[in-house]
Amino acid sequence: MTLIVLVGLAIAFLLFMAFLNVVKSGNLLSETNLLFATLVFYAGAGALYLGFGVTGTESYVKFASLATWLGLIANTAAIAHRWYEAGHPPFASVYEMLLSFVWTLAVLTLVAEKKYGVKVIGTVTMPVAIVGVVLMQLLRTDVHPLVPALQSTWLHVHVTLAMLAYAACALSFALAAMFLIQDNMKTETFLAVTSASTLAIYASIVLTRFEKWGGLSLVAWNPEAKAEVFLSRGVRLFVTIPDLGWLMTLTLLVVASPLVFYGLARWKNVVNLKDSFLTLANRAVFLSILLQVMALVMFVVRARDGRYPSLDADGLFPTTLAASPFILSGLVGGIFISLLYLLLLWRRPDLERLLPSADNLDRITYKTICLAFPLLTLMIAAGAYWANQTWGSYWSWDPKETWAAITWLVYAGYLHMRITRGWRGRRAAYFAILGFAVVMFTFFGVTYLLPGLHAYA
Amino acid sequence: MAVDLRALAHKTWRTIASIQTGVVLLILVVILSAAGTIVLQRPVTEPDEMLNAYSPQVLRILDAVGLTDVFHAWWFLGLMLLVSLCITAASIDRFPNSWRYFSRPYKYPDGSFRRALHPQKSLAIADEESGLVAAERALHSLGFNPERVVREDHFGIFAERHRISELAVYIVHASLLLIFFGTIVDGFWGWRGTLNLNEGQTSNLVELRDGSARTLPFAIRCDSAGQENYKDGTPKKWWSKLAVVEDGRDVKKKEIVVNDPLLYSGVRFYQSSYGPNGKVDKLALVATPSNGSGEKQEIGLALNDAVPLDADTTVRFAEFFPDYAIRDGQVYRKSNELENPAAHLVVTSKSAGKDFDVWFPAMDEVADNSKAPYQFQATDLKMGHFTGLQVSHEPGQWGVWSGVVLIGVGLAFVFYVVHMRFWAVPVCDPKTGKYSLWIGGTANRNRDAFEQRFNNLVALVEEELKTAPRTSSSEQVVTVAGD
Repeated sequence: MTLIVLVGLAIAFLLFMAFLNVVKSGNLLSETNLLFATLVFYAGAGALYLGFGVTGTESYVKFASLATWLGLIANTAAIAHRWYEAGHPPFASVYEMLLSFVWTLAVLTLVAEKKYGVKVIGTVTMPVAIVGVVLMQLLRTDVHPLVPALQSTWLHVHVTLAMLAYAACALSFALAAMFLIQDNMKTETFLAVTSASTLAIYASIVLTRFEKWGGLSLVAWNPEAKAEVFLSRGVRLFVTIPDLGWLMTLTLLVVASPLVFYGLARWKNVVNLKDSFLTLANRAVFLSILLQVMALVMFVVRARDGRYPSLDADGLFPTTLAASPFILSGLVGGIFISLLYLLLLWRRPDLERLLPSADNLDRITYKTICLAFPLLTLMIAAGAYWANQTWGSYWSWDPKETWAAITWLVYAGYLHMRITRGWRGRRAAYFAILGFAVVMFTFFGVTYLLPGLHAYA
Repeated sequence: MAVDLRALAHKTWRTIASIQTGVVLLILVVILSAAGTIVLQRPVTEPDEMLNAYSPQVLRILDAVGLTDVFHAWWFLGLMLLVSLCITAASIDRFPNSWRYFSRPYKYPDGSFRRALHPQKSLAIADEESGLVAAERALHSLGFNPERVVREDHFGIFAERHRISELAVYIVHASLLLIFFGTIVDGFWGWRGTLNLNEGQTSNLVELRDGSARTLPFAIRCDSAGQENYKDGTPKKWWSKLAVVEDGRDVKKKEIVVNDPLLYSGVRFYQSSYGPNGKVDKLALVATPSNGSGEKQEIGLALNDAVPLDADTTVRFAEFFPDYAIRDGQVYRKSNELENPAAHLVVTSKSAGKDFDVWFPAMDEVADNSKAPYQFQATDLKMGHFTGLQVSHEPGQWGVWSGVVLIGVGLAFVFYVVHMRFWAVPVCDPKTGKYSLWIGGTANRNRDAFEQRFNNLVALVEEELKTAPRTSSSEQVVTVAGD
C-alpha cells in the first residue's frame, strides 16, 4: 500500500506543478501540458507496474492500467493537437514519431494485459514509454513544414504501419525475453547479454565520436533554423565537447568489466572461483549503472546548450540535445537495460511466479509476430508505392529499404522454421530476439551509420 | 545409367525444394544485401568519394567481385533467380498434398482418428437421429452449414469453414514470384533517366543513368514551372505545366507536382527538382541620354536582343553571368547560382562609328559606361528557371503491384483465416447398447481460441438435446460419400 500512497503523492505533486504551469501559460490544453500529463500518468503506471513486478501485489496492476488509460488519453489528445496544428499526421520528425511510437506501445501494453493476461509486461514497456516521453520533452520541436517529397498520404500510411509493426516487434522481443526467463535460462547468461548490449552502445559512441584530446564530437545545431548545420550537401558540421570523450571511454571500460568477469567465470581453469567472479561481475554491473547515470547527466548538462569549437570550421558553434537524439537514446537505453538486469538478478523468483508459463509465452510471442509480419509487409509495400510516386522507382536498394527487406526476411525465416520445422521454445525465442535486433538496426543504425535517401527520419 | 540420371534428377529436385536450401539462400540474400548497404555503391556515390573511402587495391578487388554494385551484379540476380526457383519448387512439391486435402475433405472420421483427435467430447443420446439433429441445429446456429455424410455402414455430420486457408500459403508464394517477375521485367525492359527543361523548351531526349541518351517517340514541353515556399523559406511545392507533343500537336497537358506524375504511353514524368538555369529571362533597364537632351526610355531585353534607342544608337544585350569573377581584364562565369550577377550591354553608335561596352556592375577593367551615349540603370532582372524531371518506364510494375495486393490478401488468409472442421458421429457402445454422440473438431491454427469455440458448440448441442428431441426434417443436405 505504501507504494500506492507514494505514487499518489508523486502524481499529486506533479499535477500541482502542472497546474502552476497552466496558470502561468494560461492555456489548459496546450501540447506541452498534454505531454506533461502523459508523462505523469505513464510515470505513475510505470512505477506501479514496477511495484507489481517487484512485490507481486495484484491490486497495483489495476491502478497501473488505470494510469495507463489516463496517460493514453492525454497522449491521444497530444497527437490530435499536434496533427491539428501541423495539418499532417505526426510522423515528420523524430519527435513526432516518438509521440506515435509511445502511443502504440501503450495500446499494445493494454492489449497484452487485458487479452492475454501478461500483466507484468508493463514493467518493461512503460519505462520505455516514459523514456520516450522524456526524450520528447528534450527534443520538442516546432511544427516543421513538410518538404515536397513528404507531402503524401502514402507516406503517412507507410510510417503508421512502420510504427505499428516495430511496436509489435518490440513486444515480441519482450515476450521472448520473458520466455527465456521462464525457460530457466541462467541469470548469468542474461548478465552477458545485457552487458554486451550496453557495451555495444558505448563502443559505437566512442568509436564514431571520440575526438583527439578526449573530446566528443556532436552535430552542430542552428537554433534559429532549428536544424542541423550542414557544411555542404550531406556533410554535417560537428562540434567537439572537450573532456566528454574521456568520460565516455571510462564508462566504456566499466561497462565492459562485467563481461570480462563473466568471461573469467566461464574459463575452465577457474571452476572453483566461478561464483566469486560472478559476484564481481554483478557488482561491476551496479557500478556501471552509476557511471552510466553520470555519463548521461554530464552529457545532458554539456550538450543541452553552450558553444563549442569545431575541427572543421573556425569559431564556436552551438549544439543541443535535439541534434543528437540517437546518442541520447543510446545512453538512456543502456541504463534501462542494466536496470532490467538488476531487476532480474534481485527478483527472479518473484518474476517467475508472476509471468505466464513458458508455453503460453512461446505462443503469445508467435501470435505477436503473426501480427508484426503482415504489418511489415504492408509497410514495405506502402513505402514502395510512395517511392514510386515520388522518385519514379518502387525499389532503389537504398540502405533503409534493404534493411527493411532484411527484417522481413528474418521474420519470414522465423515463420517458416516454426510452421514447417516445428521450431518451438528457445530456438524460436532466439529468432524473435534476432528479428528485433535487426529492427533496431533498421530504425536507428541505418539512419545513424549508413547514408541514404531516408535522411528525413 | 538412365536410372541413375533419374535418381540424380530426383535428388536435385528434393534439394531445391527443401526448406534447408530455402533458408540457406535467404541467409545468403541477407548477408549480401547487408554488404551492399555497408560497402559504398557506385550507382549512388560520386567517384571521388569512392577513391577517398578505399585504397586503390581494395577498390580494385571490390569492383572485381561486384561488391561496389551488389544489387546489379550478375551473381545477385542469379541468387534471386535461385530463390524464385526454390520457392516454385517447394510450392510444387507440397502443393499436391495440400490440394488433395483441399479438394477431397476428410468428412467421416474413422476410429483411429477419433481416438487421437483433440478436442473431443461424447454426449449421451437417446437414439442416433436425435443426436444428429441436435448437432445439426447447434452447428446451424453457429453459422455453419452442416452436411450429413452417409456411408454403407455408418453415418455422421461434417461441418467446416474457410477451407481456402489451407491454400493461402501458395497465394503468398505465388504473389512473391509475381513481384520478382515484375522486377525482372523492369530490370530488362525498364529504364530511368532525367530530363531538364527550361521554361518554354521542348525536348524528347532523356539522359539515362549510364550517361547515354534515349529518344522518346514524342516530346515534352515545359510551359511554366515554379516553386512555392513556406513562410520560413523552405520549399513547399514545386510544379511544372507540361505538354506532350506528338506529330506537332499537343496531345496531353498536365500540371505535375511532386508525388503526382504525368503518365503518357507507359512513360512517367516526375517532378524532382526546380531551380534557376543561370540564364536570364528579361533585364529591365532605364536609359537616359548622356548629353541630357531627350527622354528617359524604359526597355526590356532578353539575351541577344537588340533595341534601337534613337536613329543613331542601338543597344544589344550581349552577355550575362549569374555569378562572375574578373581576372586579367576577362570576366568569367563562376557558377550557375544567381550569386553575383553581371550583365554586358553593347551600345553601338553609328555616328561615333564605335561600340561601347556597358557593364553592370561597372568594372573599371572592361567597362566604358561613362563614355557611352546613354547612361543605363538596371531596374529588374528576371531569371529563367528549369524544371528537373525524372523519367521512368517500368513495364513490370503492374506485376509488382498486383503481387503486393495478392500478398496482402494471402497473408490475411494465412494468419487470420482459420480452417476449422467439426465432426459428429453417433456411436453405439457394444456392451451396454446405449448410444452416445461423439463430437470432435480441429483447426489449422490458433488452437487455444478454437478450443473455446469447441466447448461452446458442445454446450449448444447439450442444450439442443435437452429441449426438443424432434425427428429429422427433410430439408437437410444429404451426401453420399463415395470414398
